[in-house]
Amino acid sequence: MSVEIKDLHFSYGRIKALDGVDVKLPQGAIGLLGPNGAGKSTLIRILLGFLTPQQGRGSVLGYDIHSQQALIRRYVGYMPEDDCLIPGIDAVSFTSYLGELSGMPKQEAMKRAHEVLFYVGLEESRYRLLETYSSGMKQRLKLAQAIVHDPRLIFLDEPTSGLDPQGRKDILELILDISAKKDIQVLISSHILSDIEATCSYVVILNKGRLAAEGTVSDLKQIEYSLYELKIHGDSAAFLERLRGLDCRVEETEDRLLRLYMPPDIGSQEIFRLAAADRIQIRHFIKSQTSLEDLFAEAVGVD
Amino acid sequence: MSIKEKGYTHWQGEFRDSRLNWMPITRYGIKLAFRRKFFKFLFFSTLAPAVITLAFIYISERLSDFAFLTQDSDALSFFEVNPVFFMRYFNGGGLLFMMLMLMIFSGAGLIADDLKHNSLQLYFSRPLTKLDYFLGKASVIVFFLMLITMVPGLIFVIMKLLFAGDFQFVRQYPWLPLSVIGFSLLITVFFTFYTLLLSAVNKNRRYVAVLIFGIYVFSDIIFNIFNGIFRNPYFALFSVEKNLQQVGAVIFGQDPQYDIPWILSILVIGALCALSAWVLNRKIRGVEVVK
Repeated sequence: MSVEIKDLHFSYGRIKALDGVDVKLPQGAIGLLGPNGAGKSTLIRILLGFLTPQQGRGSVLGYDIHSQQALIRRYVGYMPEDDCLIPGIDAVSFTSYLGELSGMPKQEAMKRAHEVLFYVGLEESRYRLLETYSSGMKQRLKLAQAIVHDPRLIFLDEPTSGLDPQGRKDILELILDISAKKDIQVLISSHILSDIEATCSYVVILNKGRLAAEGTVSDLKQIEYSLYELKIHGDSAAFLERLRGLDCRVEETEDRLLRLYMPPDIGSQEIFRLAAADRIQIRHFIKSQTSLEDLFAEAVGVD
Repeated sequence: MSIKEKGYTHWQGEFRDSRLNWMPITRYGIKLAFRRKFFKFLFFSTLAPAVITLAFIYISERLSDFAFLTQDSDALSFFEVNPVFFMRYFNGGGLLFMMLMLMIFSGAGLIADDLKHNSLQLYFSRPLTKLDYFLGKASVIVFFLMLITMVPGLIFVIMKLLFAGDFQFVRQYPWLPLSVIGFSLLITVFFTFYTLLLSAVNKNRRYVAVLIFGIYVFSDIIFNIFNGIFRNPYFALFSVEKNLQQVGAVIFGQDPQYDIPWILSILVIGALCALSAWVLNRKIRGVEVVK
């Protein structure tokens, strides 16, 4: 287990940010999902030792979050969400400086800074002052500083925020490469579901400080419900009402496509039976793949 | 952008001893200070009083060669190297002003810049403690202030002995090197806390620079106003400069300028350092927690 936490509680004054979270994260790329205020950043900050939980215990890479914070931070990389650069220096100095702060010897930190800047695609602008960097370059630089000391686990807080589509694609490509080919575990906190779906195999969904769902992306998509997409002709009101009576959630898209989230124990033939009873023609019917967006909506209870 | 497949390899080295984690912060702080406009000029300017004092020490041993400078008895007293001579260097407004300039240019942004650019989380996502961060930042100021206090002070003593060619000076004032070290430490520690406190209370280094200069000068103005009205020397306790001078005089074995117990000045200095430590402990953290 890379991260293991038990009964974690944290409050900002009277506001509960985490309310008894239990989670065991396996190896690999893990997505931390949740709406704003769900407790994602608070969880990462507790795991890094920035905040001390009022209750609960946990470990990161086997190190206790209460008593071995320095060891955790030695073997973990962190890419914060906000712009957080040190002005007045170039990217090489910045990256090697943070390598040194991680405990690397000066010369090795400098050598390593060149390597990781090359890896993230900043080789040609590594001697430019950080103030002159674009948003995309800053994101890559933040990633470079997070991996300069060769961590075993990286926490990425909203790694694609503020990026254009190409920049986003580039960063996701790097994250995928890091987690799949470089043997570094990655924990990505994001509210952009497609980013998580593209990079992670395991997902943790937080909502209002509690664990809403957890599991591999493929398992989570399948176990909760079956998703059918259909187009119908006829008076749909009674038909849809009957479907809702079966605990089925119904969504209608702009092009009059119906998306039915059916409980797993109810088969597709039941849809046809109800349609026949209500004299509804089904003109289009497919069993669709559930997306992470569907799962997320289901877990946090929003449409 | 294509991923550079060979650009990332696992690092095989060993991490350094964690007791020296603060050293890179100091090194970068000093390096960044020298990259600022005018700082090199300022830094070398602050060494001017030391160079002049050194020239006085040389002349004090060659009075016959410089007779034209020492024709009246008042001028002669300037060339007499004794504790008063040292106190004039350490306790004079000139050196304190130079220290203030160094604090403004090298220290104002030390924490303010990190607050402004959200960099504290970068530091504390590393295996650094608050103490490491504080030591790293404080050592930048200590480095610059020591270069114009303790280092020249001890060089003065050594050069006096070399120019004199005997140990008469040390035999006469054996405690003087300790006074130099003691006062240098006191003033450096105080100014370090003072600078870091103000650097931690605002994110804008220019405001911090104004605060460093303004509070120092304003406290003295307050003293002068109240002392002028009430004729009470205890108002000297309001002045940063006067408190340092009171303690300095005692350390160099002289009578303090104002007739108040010097221990009160020590208490004021100690209280300001304690306040600074408390504020720094609250302000220096990986994340800003708004409750």
